[in-house]
Amino acid sequence: MSSDAFLFWFLALVTVVSGLSVVLMTNPIYSALSLAMTMIGVSALFVTLNAYFLAGVQLIVYAGAVMVLFVMVLMLFDLKHELQAFTRGRITGAIKIASVGILSGLIVGAVTMGLKTATTLTESASAANAAVALKTNPDTTRALAENLFIKNIFGFEALGVLLLVIAVGTVALSRSKGGSHARD
Amino acid sequence: MLSMGNSTFEIAINAVKTILVFFMMVQAVPILVWLERRGSAFIQNRFGPNRVGPLGLIQLLADAVKFLTKEDFAPEAGNRFLFYCAPVFALIPAAIAYMAIPMSVPLVTESYTFLIQGYEVNVGIVFILGISSLAAYTILMAGWGSGSKFSLMGALRASAQIISYELALGLAIVGVILLYGTFNLTEMIHAQAGAFHFSAFGYTITAPWAPNWGIFYQPVGAILFFAAAFAESNRLPFDLAEGEAELVAGFHTEYGGFKMLMFFIGEYGHMMIASGLMVTFYFGGYSIWAATPADVQQWFADTLSVSNQVANILSVIAHFLCYTVKFAIFLWIFIHVRWTLPRFRYDQLMDLGWKTMLPWALANTIITATVIFVTSYFIL
Repeated sequence: MSSDAFLFWFLALVTVVSGLSVVLMTNPIYSALSLAMTMIGVSALFVTLNAYFLAGVQLIVYAGAVMVLFVMVLMLFDLKHELQAFTRGRITGAIKIASVGILSGLIVGAVTMGLKTATTLTESASAANAAVALKTNPDTTRALAENLFIKNIFGFEALGVLLLVIAVGTVALSRSKGGSHARD
Repeated sequence: MLSMGNSTFEIAINAVKTILVFFMMVQAVPILVWLERRGSAFIQNRFGPNRVGPLGLIQLLADAVKFLTKEDFAPEAGNRFLFYCAPVFALIPAAIAYMAIPMSVPLVTESYTFLIQGYEVNVGIVFILGISSLAAYTILMAGWGSGSKFSLMGALRASAQIISYELALGLAIVGVILLYGTFNLTEMIHAQAGAFHFSAFGYTITAPWAPNWGIFYQPVGAILFFAAAFAESNRLPFDLAEGEAELVAGFHTEYGGFKMLMFFIGEYGHMMIASGLMVTFYFGGYSIWAATPADVQQWFADTLSVSNQVANILSVIAHFLCYTVKFAIFLWIFIHVRWTLPRFRYDQLMDLGWKTMLPWALANTIITATVIFVTSYFIL
């Protein structure tokens, strides 16, 4: 096994195991920490694909900021109550089993489809050329920026506006009458 | 970045190098602690540790032995797994991030080129920011795993502060990225090498006696970055997380012995990353005052009349010493500020982060982008 393949299988194992433990852990804190570990694994996988900038941003935004907020909020909760809500009840159990089933289905599907595309890709010469181009010119940051800010600028800005609308809407809903942060 | 080398020799040297940089970082901590204790004593008109060894230098060795032989305990109500994980995780992000900072010009032999840093990362800044932002987990794990209210309060304060100041920190760096047009730390240092020169409106302005450092182009960014770095490493005046009068010792209240020392090493590691980045972004990295690395090597070859090989080795040593001096100056500023300024109140801390530093950093970014665009696209 080459070092690249070893690295991929190791990182994939870390990502999948921590992803599974997000669902299977009974303690929400462990779930949140596992989700952070999944993010780190995904970002390491990005590094092996030469997408350094994406890997760094994944670490800064998801692992460094979003998940820290998750963990922080979870630590303020009364976890004994949450623990019961997580462990008892048939519905949550059914949801857990269903999501595990969906996940394993996805994995099996991805592996079989990936094998198919891998065989077709190795046959075509264009993939080899692309790989060589990636090896010689690993600066994918510029290509990413051109895609985001020149080619797809309107879609990108529309997504930004959508996120802003979501943030304003959340604040408005939580501060409206009967909400958890109502002013009166 | 992933390639460790082509031959077994190169791979072995590169592997040893990463371990060496890690040990360098860990070994700098006792010296810094000694400097901090002697320095604080000097500032407060006391003696400080002066009994063990010459100038009290062996005191820290004695402390380390004391820490190692202390009883290893975990609080009854805490979460043992997270409690034991946290100190280990405090070391890892600091060490990994510090390895990406270049410390000298590469050592070139006949068939190999060795970089004087742990490893080269293509997008150095993003990598270092990403890795060091993981330090917030350490604090949260320690605070929650201790099962103590003081620890939890300290951890919540610390992580809220780290997230708040990360924004100002990141935005202050954007100015630097715009200025040099790269994410790579080595390329940034190359851009700052040599005498002061810049082009605007088709003219080129030079000053052979001054260095071409980033501080002359980004003074506001430098101040914002350095201030945010203090908050990121939880040092005074931003050490709300361990305000002794309110929280005993914050997130590491329940820790003793070597586990506490590991948190210490993590904190000093963040100080070292901040100083290293400050040097790299704004003070020319390892480059010597108003001279390019090629000039320095040529000077060695001419004045000492040695071969290029020896001149290269001498140039590596000279640049490493230059980096170390700059690095040490910033570490001393960290220590001096800690013993000079009082602690902020919590609302002052948040106001400073969100209402003062963030708008200034945003304005700095916009003005830098505009100036760069105008001066490079319009020719008088």
